[in-house]
Amino acid sequence: MDVALYDIHKTFGRVHANVGITLSVPAGTIQGILGENGAGKSTLMKVLSGFIRADRGEIRLDGRPVVIHSPSDAIRHGIGMLHQDPLDFPPMRVIDNFILGRKGGLLPGRAAAKRDFRALADQFGFSLDPDAYVDTLTVGERQQLEILRLLWLGARVLIFDEPTTGISAAQKEKLFAALRLLAEQGRTVLFVSHKLEDVEGLCHKIAVLRQGYLVGDVRPPYKTAQLVEMMFGKSVAMGERQPAKPGPVALRLESLSVEDDRLKVRDVSLTVHKGEVIGLAGMEGSGQGLFMRAICGLVRPTGGRVWVGDQDLTGRSYLAHKRHGVAFLPASRLEEGLVPGLNLTEHFVLAEERRSFFVDWNAGRSLARQRILDFNIRGAPETPVESLSGGNQQRALLALLRVPLDLLLLEHPTRGLDIESTIYIWSKLKERCAQGMAVLFISSDLEEILQYSDRVLVFFSGRVTPPLEAADLTTDRLGELIGGKGWPEKGGQG
Amino acid sequence: MEGSKGAKLTAKTIKWISPLFQAAAFLLALSFTTLILLAVGAPPGQAYLNILKGAFGNTNSIANVLVVWAPLLLTTVGVLITFSAGLWNIGVEGQVTLGAIFTTWVLRLLQESALPPWLIILLAMLAGMLGGALWAALAGALKTFGGVNEIFGGLGLNFVATALTLWLIFGPWKRPGTGSMSGTLPFPETLWLPTLSGLRLSPWALGLALLAVVVVYLMLRGTRFGLRLKAVGKNMRAAYLLGVPTWQHMMASFLLCGLLAGLAGALQVTAVYHRLIPSISSGYGFLGLLVAMLVNYQAVWAVPVALFFAALNIGSIQLPIVLRLDSSLAGVLQGLLVLSVLLVEGARQQIMKRLRLSDESAPVEERP
Amino acid sequence: MRKNIFRLALLLMAFAMLLTACKPAATETTTGSGTAATEAAATEAAATESAATEAQPEEFVFGMLLVGPYNDRGWSQAHYEAGLYVEENLPGARMIYLDRVNPADRPGTTPAQLAEELVAQGARLIIFNSDDMKDSSTEFAQAHPDIFVIMASGDQVWAEGNAYIPMDNMVNIMGRMEYGKMIAGCAAALTTQTGQIGYLGPLINDETRRLAASAYLGARYCWSEYLGNDPAALQFKVTWIGFWFNIPGVTADPTQVADDFFNTGYDVVISGIDTTEALTEASRLRAAGEQVWAIPYDFIGACEGADAVCLGVPYFNWGPAYLATIQSAINGTWTSSFQWNGPDWADINNLDTSAVGFVPGPALSPDASALLNQFIGELAGGLNLWTGPLNLQDGTPYLADGEIATDQQIWYLPQLLEGMQGQSVSGE
Ligand SMILES: Nc1ncnc2c1ncn2[C@@H]1O[C@H](COP(=O)(O)OP(=O)(O)OP(=O)(O)O)[C@@H](O)[C@H]1O
Ligand SMILES: [Mg+2]
Repeated sequence: MDVALYDIHKTFGRVHANVGITLSVPAGTIQGILGENGAGKSTLMKVLSGFIRADRGEIRLDGRPVVIHSPSDAIRHGIGMLHQDPLDFPPMRVIDNFILGRKGGLLPGRAAAKRDFRALADQFGFSLDPDAYVDTLTVGERQQLEILRLLWLGARVLIFDEPTTGISAAQKEKLFAALRLLAEQGRTVLFVSHKLEDVEGLCHKIAVLRQGYLVGDVRPPYKTAQLVEMMFGKSVAMGERQPAKPGPVALRLESLSVEDDRLKVRDVSLTVHKGEVIGLAGMEGSGQGLFMRAICGLVRPTGGRVWVGDQDLTGRSYLAHKRHGVAFLPASRLEEGLVPGLNLTEHFVLAEERRSFFVDWNAGRSLARQRILDFNIRGAPETPVESLSGGNQQRALLALLRVPLDLLLLEHPTRGLDIESTIYIWSKLKERCAQGMAVLFISSDLEEILQYSDRVLVFFSGRVTPPLEAADLTTDRLGELIGGKGWPEKGGQG
Repeated sequence: MEGSKGAKLTAKTIKWISPLFQAAAFLLALSFTTLILLAVGAPPGQAYLNILKGAFGNTNSIANVLVVWAPLLLTTVGVLITFSAGLWNIGVEGQVTLGAIFTTWVLRLLQESALPPWLIILLAMLAGMLGGALWAALAGALKTFGGVNEIFGGLGLNFVATALTLWLIFGPWKRPGTGSMSGTLPFPETLWLPTLSGLRLSPWALGLALLAVVVVYLMLRGTRFGLRLKAVGKNMRAAYLLGVPTWQHMMASFLLCGLLAGLAGALQVTAVYHRLIPSISSGYGFLGLLVAMLVNYQAVWAVPVALFFAALNIGSIQLPIVLRLDSSLAGVLQGLLVLSVLLVEGARQQIMKRLRLSDESAPVEERP
Repeated sequence: MRKNIFRLALLLMAFAMLLTACKPAATETTTGSGTAATEAAATEAAATESAATEAQPEEFVFGMLLVGPYNDRGWSQAHYEAGLYVEENLPGARMIYLDRVNPADRPGTTPAQLAEELVAQGARLIIFNSDDMKDSSTEFAQAHPDIFVIMASGDQVWAEGNAYIPMDNMVNIMGRMEYGKMIAGCAAALTTQTGQIGYLGPLINDETRRLAASAYLGARYCWSEYLGNDPAALQFKVTWIGFWFNIPGVTADPTQVADDFFNTGYDVVISGIDTTEALTEASRLRAAGEQVWAIPYDFIGACEGADAVCLGVPYFNWGPAYLATIQSAINGTWTSSFQWNGPDWADINNLDTSAVGFVPGPALSPDASALLNQFIGELAGGLNLWTGPLNLQDGTPYLADGEIATDQQIWYLPQLLEGMQGQSVSGE
């Protein structure tokens, strides 16, 4: 189906999120939508899929103007969207979720639905168990389920808002294959990202947004430098690797063991020095998250000891760790990181170390304004966090960290951030490392791991490599280890 | 409350849209009631007039309305605190009862002592607050340590509180001679909270209730503690990671609510009934929950809405007396009001969604 | 999610309120117009009569405070209907009433305050209808010496009572339900096949104790005198639920208690509570083929719909006493008194004369019915079961051989009687 947007405008209060955007996407095209954080990508897609009503403008499908006021209007016209922040998945079976939202018919006809589900899944090479529970699926598998569901509902236009964050490399390959297949079938695909390499490899053409404006709609061959300039209005250069000058010990793990009902991580010993950055690599759910949570007291270790500086904090609560200069930033921003319903000022006041009984809101606001400037957050002190764009939520999280810190644990610190922000955030982190903060971070982006770590631990279904010097590693070698290949025979004893 | 800090344009629009919806709800309830009145062949105008006159007709009736208003305000702002922390403190009813029991207990212990009456009353009221807080702490402990949902824990504790009252009245605290539904033996007049001359209203009760509203308003709006409570209520995990000791805050909200509910119970004993009676809590706990919900968890609005409910309660006494109307009519009006507020609130959220004035309506939806 | 559940609950609650309200409200209009009609008739009657009696057809307004809904088919309705009876039979009398006078339904109000509302509407006499209002009635009577006060079921102005407070403007009225309960006990004894009678008690106080004891006395008498059985072979057990009606979680569940009685060989259950669980449970078991019976309490029409199991019902009839007392207030012959009115032995079910009655139920066998009438006849003839030798439950002598209990001894009965099983005083 041909999709055309004419002169779309959308404002949120003073923010002009989309300014007169006109874009047409012929059937069978994979259209990339590129732009920095807060450029208005999600907004534009939400307009098309009925989640937001534009202030002005027109949507045409196959040349006919249509009115789309709700997601169900959109799906009726064959438009479906996969969101940037995966929506809440209730603990129901895959097949029930699949049936959900189907029009008409009180009795869902599960048997027939299951047949359709299998047929569709086969077509795309997805291996999903229809009887599994949704909450046991990885982000990538949920995406696959959502694609199947939308197709089954009759979607001919599929919108993907940053689908590559949080999925493994293998799943990404599968996803891209599926998108290409969709396009071959004559469907229209809109693919939102700020990752150049994804967009360049996949898309038939790329629209670039900047600060609400459409600044270009380019076709291959793509020139990366040109795209970057379009995105940021200037060129952006990757920094040099900056190896740390190790200081005194910040964290010492002695045979740390931790487990949950699926995984066991055994006997990891590790010494981290002040100023050092340790990258934790591995496919999502290989034990790195559990390991990190055990270090900061969110999960109780089953064995071993955790020393922060010269304090034995084994088995102490997260708040005790926090008092000793440890902080943890979770990956799920709106579920664990931020408090929806509170605005930025309230967040900064909340995270403040001050102990005064009354809140000085004026001071709070100026603090918020300062941090917003420092971290380049697109938002105002009174903006509720849930209306920040995904990338800006991430910046806000980082901005909330208390200032003198000894150890910072980060889950996917730059997920959802554009390159410029990524570089900026890391420069901030490195600045603080230079002042003696140690960092452990989880990332599924191998480049990021190699670029910013001093040493690397690789996780594979609970097994952990000994610390590896990042300088000695390559992406290929790292990729192998993540996939479980090339491990030393007795691996796992860190 | 964040309205003042919200983005200028939307905040302003919403500022005047919201009361409009509230008014619409009120009118809706009124027209439903009118229809019912007409259906049973009663003159609606007269009915409303009688309610109004019954509630505000003279000083005496106004005073009677305020007698109801004071404890209702206390329970309302009490549950606002627990609401902020994302908790449904259904147990507030039992907390009022325990407040009354503790107050009675101390009065009984000290009534023959040589202490000056004002001191006895003061001690008794403090004991009442303590009693309410203890009962709330129990619900809180069940929730935080026992993993018992506060709704079920609270309901259970309410039953226990009622049973305890009956047991005391007909058992250990039985009046000489016959244990009576009329309650324990009334306390001597010296131990009554002083009232305005010729009226049943104690200025102390009124003063304490208004003070509580101001304190809770300031606490939720202007203190770090209030902000933390809100954070816990909206996203407990994130609040914890941001450094808020979550269970301690939940517990604290229970305790504070219990204190206020206990004070309401203490007022019931010292200012209204002057003894322990079987239904000493007068249902103020549940009514308070209702008001808190209707005012969308904003302490300032609790003041007029609680007044309205109090006036309805007192004014509707006239209906059976003067018009021989069934006295459940007041309950109907109350029920219809709640119903229409919910309906209109639903409609409002729909409309807001349409208009995408999201930054103010979203927090409302996030509430427990 | 939780919010939604709660909202749903509220919605349901609101609907329930609406429904319950619509029904009685509709009834009310008919009652209202009915009253208007009777009023008109009464005025007419008064007009025609006024020539004969020199009473002026001047209006006399009396107010009534009812603890429950005026149409509760129980305690409050009995009073409400007595009020209508007065209106009908006393020219010029007009009732205004307020029901649901209790702190749960009317938060923050006291009966004394509500009585003042009635006075403001012209009432010159106030009837307080429940033990709940005892203190308030005293407070009110003392504060308003010019208003007549009837406190039903109270004992404040009983000069020989334990809590005497002289008040010229107050009259206490109570029916001698002891007789009703004796008759009920007798009916139970004449019917039981197992010799086991259960008594479903409310909460424990002097009143409920003496009523349970009366039922026992009646049962024991008929059991031994009419059936020739050994009194010691009669089992009479009282189980208190803890309140006048079921409050889930607070009281014992009366359905459960009745069921336990029936399942352990007690084949007749006499109810002392306001609601009819015993009767309902008996009907259910009867439908399943079991030989069980029950006796409800309070309301003259309580047997309705339970023909197979209902042995009869003892009830109060307040009308005659109210009529006479209000009449005395009008005539100026009012004196403060404590009235404890018995049945009219000429016809205990004469609604114009008898303060207490017993309607035999359809399940009572013809034989038993004949013996029951004989028993009533004996009572009418002066049989007094409150005669010694009688011991209290713990064996303490209560009445010596041949000693007849005084009213005080009966009113303030300190324990159950020897031979009865069950708790005598609230647990401590
Ligand atoms: N509901 C909302 N209320 C107020 N402002 C909003 C809302 N949604 C988005 N915005 C603002 O609109 C702008 C565009 O946001 P949008 O989510 O479209 O960005 P994006 O391009 O998807 O960014 P990212 O890469 O960070 O996800 C941002 O400044 C954001 O703060
Ligand atoms: Mg986005």
